[in-house]
Amino acid sequence: MVFVVLRRLGVFATTVVVASVVTFLMLSILPGNAARIALGVQATEADVAAQATAMGLDRPAIVRYLDWFGHVLIGDFGTSTVSRQAIGPEITDSLGITVILVLTSVVLALLFAIPFGILTAVRQRKLDGAILSGISQIGVAVPGFLAGMLLVTVFAVTLRWLPAGGWVDPGENFGEFTLHLILPAIALGSVQGAVLSRYVRSSVLEVMREDFIRTARAKGLGAGRALFRHGLRNAAVPVMTVLGLQIATLLVGAVVIERVFSIPGLGSLLLDKVALRDLPAVQGIVLVLVVFVLALNFLVDVAFTLIDPRLRSAA
Amino acid sequence: MWFTGKHSTFPRYFSQYFWPTFAGPAQAEGHVRMTAHTRRSRFASIATVMVASLALVGCSSGSTTAEGEPDTSLTVGLLATPGNLDYTTTAGAAIPQALLYNVYEGLVKLNNDGTIIPLLAKSWTTSDDGLVYDFLLHDGVTFSDGSPFTAESVKFSLERVKDNWTANGPAYLDPIASIEAVSDTEARITLSKPSNSWLFNMSGPVGTMFTESALADLATAPVGTGPYTVSSFKTGDSLVLAANAEYWGEVPYMTDVTLRYFTDATAQTNALLSGDINLISGISQFQLVDQFKSNTDFQVLEGASTGEVTLSMNNASDAFSDVRVRQAVMYAVDRQAVMDTANSGYGLLIGSMVPPTDPWYDESLADLYPYDPDRATELLAEAGVSDLTVAFKIPNLPYAVAGAQVVKDQLAKVGITADVTALEFPAVWLDDVFSSHDYDMSLIMHSEPRDVNAFAAPTYYAGYDSPSVMAKFAEADAADATTYIELMKEATTTMAEEAAADWLYLQPAISLADADLLGVPKNTPSLALDLSTIAR
Repeated sequence: MVFVVLRRLGVFATTVVVASVVTFLMLSILPGNAARIALGVQATEADVAAQATAMGLDRPAIVRYLDWFGHVLIGDFGTSTVSRQAIGPEITDSLGITVILVLTSVVLALLFAIPFGILTAVRQRKLDGAILSGISQIGVAVPGFLAGMLLVTVFAVTLRWLPAGGWVDPGENFGEFTLHLILPAIALGSVQGAVLSRYVRSSVLEVMREDFIRTARAKGLGAGRALFRHGLRNAAVPVMTVLGLQIATLLVGAVVIERVFSIPGLGSLLLDKVALRDLPAVQGIVLVLVVFVLALNFLVDVAFTLIDPRLRSAA
Repeated sequence: MWFTGKHSTFPRYFSQYFWPTFAGPAQAEGHVRMTAHTRRSRFASIATVMVASLALVGCSSGSTTAEGEPDTSLTVGLLATPGNLDYTTTAGAAIPQALLYNVYEGLVKLNNDGTIIPLLAKSWTTSDDGLVYDFLLHDGVTFSDGSPFTAESVKFSLERVKDNWTANGPAYLDPIASIEAVSDTEARITLSKPSNSWLFNMSGPVGTMFTESALADLATAPVGTGPYTVSSFKTGDSLVLAANAEYWGEVPYMTDVTLRYFTDATAQTNALLSGDINLISGISQFQLVDQFKSNTDFQVLEGASTGEVTLSMNNASDAFSDVRVRQAVMYAVDRQAVMDTANSGYGLLIGSMVPPTDPWYDESLADLYPYDPDRATELLAEAGVSDLTVAFKIPNLPYAVAGAQVVKDQLAKVGITADVTALEFPAVWLDDVFSSHDYDMSLIMHSEPRDVNAFAAPTYYAGYDSPSVMAKFAEADAADATTYIELMKEATTTMAEEAAADWLYLQPAISLADADLLGVPKNTPSLALDLSTIAR
């Protein structure tokens, strides 16, 4: 067990280092000059060269990499070349927003997917089950940003019930925070909810054909009780796998939704920083995302073993 | 969905709507002030929303009218976010848009009609030789940190420009030979040569008055003498201004102003329609305007900007070094058609790099090169050019992408093949086109006021090299007021005749506002968005 954990940590660390190198290399070949962007078109080439030196852009790539990654290892993401603020707090601030958005949409997706998936599985051969199943297919097909724009058009622009976008910090005004969260969370969660309900459905259908359900039925349990007592826990394993993958997808999907709803999350931050060629900040954000996704996968693995005791020995 | 359609603007010159690229980070405390509007029944509606969200189809329309007590808070939706708040070292129109005249002030100010009016200077006199300016300053003015504004502040601020400013044109103050604090309220500025343009430039960012006591954190905590102070700033999200209670002049009507930054023009108009914001200054996508014209909850204000949308030709390239080839392009391109496509018909055909708000504007230049493809073909034949292929490198901004397609089609009719490449703006466009001059043709808006002189510089990306035009600009700057206008007119006309570029049209300044807002600035003669006149 200890060996397993160490091996996992080793893989984790190696992946982070590789990701840092890849990110750095890709960004260093990106065209565009941060110094020129900072100074604008009125500056002369000499001004721009001086600015580049001041920003440390003229140092050899290896020096820049080691300087950056060395500081990251001690928790210092450096200073933004644009905002001149420490990058670390900029990242954690916007990451906090994105995490709230993603988790809320995951909760919404689960609240929808689990009952809906079970229902469509149980009613598989009935007309209503088929219709509901069809609806979830439509949900899968509608992209999140389109759902977002439709939601804004209906609930913000036409009905004026909810804000069209923006973000309010929960500590500042919790009511407004909630109102601002509703539409983006639904937009982000709707597709995932639909996808997840398909998995729940097929997973439940599969479990219902298992021997242990037949055994439970043979003991005298009704179909519903057999499913709830013995089936769902088993059905949850593949669903958890998908959910883990989905959360990573959601982090990326949040980039789009944050744009549609003008939410200052990590995705917005990343796009802005790329546009400005604020490379230390971009490197930092990408690294944080990598670590986040890796940590997520790790947590999903742990969750498996909690749900399904059979996996414990295999780990 | 792609995000490149940010309505970026490049600094001062190329902004389309100020540039978003300075859109910076978003921060967790990200906060957006609510307007008094429209949030009445929201909580009651949440449950309905949750249920209804999955059944979008069939929702009936019907908007609730914005309602609320006349209040003194204002939320403005803008497209380009400042990356930081220091315009002494950071380019981009977004910072002066937010801070100039609101937080920062100079001796003079550019009025909304384009005239220079007194601000921190009560009045001034000029010596007969045009070299000595004596400014009489307002008494009892303090910076928002409490430090006094005196003639010493004038000396300190202007002297600081040369060595400490790297952005926003420190060279504008080059004509200044010396600055003297005669008394606390009298400042004397002596020029090395007469200059008609420097006082105009003093109304811009370089003329800003700073206090020595608050230079430590210009990027986040600006301190000026203006009617507002910065209460919070979250890059990429919002900038909140509060009325400066100690303001030396008339305290503005709006006491709390939030500038909210968007990356998408549709999100911006949606926010106005839903009551999240009260005002959009300088809409960028004109197809979004018409819906407001028919809605009595809103007003549409059309004014003049200084943004010339320019089809630039690299005068130094093989393709366009021959004036006849450039003139052929002038005849081949139907500017009205470009404006109709890229701007939904909004704009003004100008024919030169001069907007109507400049005294040397000549409206006849709009007809200098009528649409005449046959004439274009003749000129190309005269120049001995056939099968011309040009690298048409445009910024990936909506107006440029739309306009370039029309230009490409029209050029094809006279036998010019334009290879259109949309470059990421600003980063890649600046590198390729602006800095490296590695292009034949581009399409970009030059938004800086009075930027025609800069455009004529031989080192500029347009590659236009006319010593006589440059000499005329220099002569104009040193001339008396009347001759100044005459010479400027001559120089800019020559540039149009020699087809230094094809100035397609002037971007209109269109603001969309709640119907009850008064005093919304209509024109954008300068970079500043002057909030002090807005009321309800």
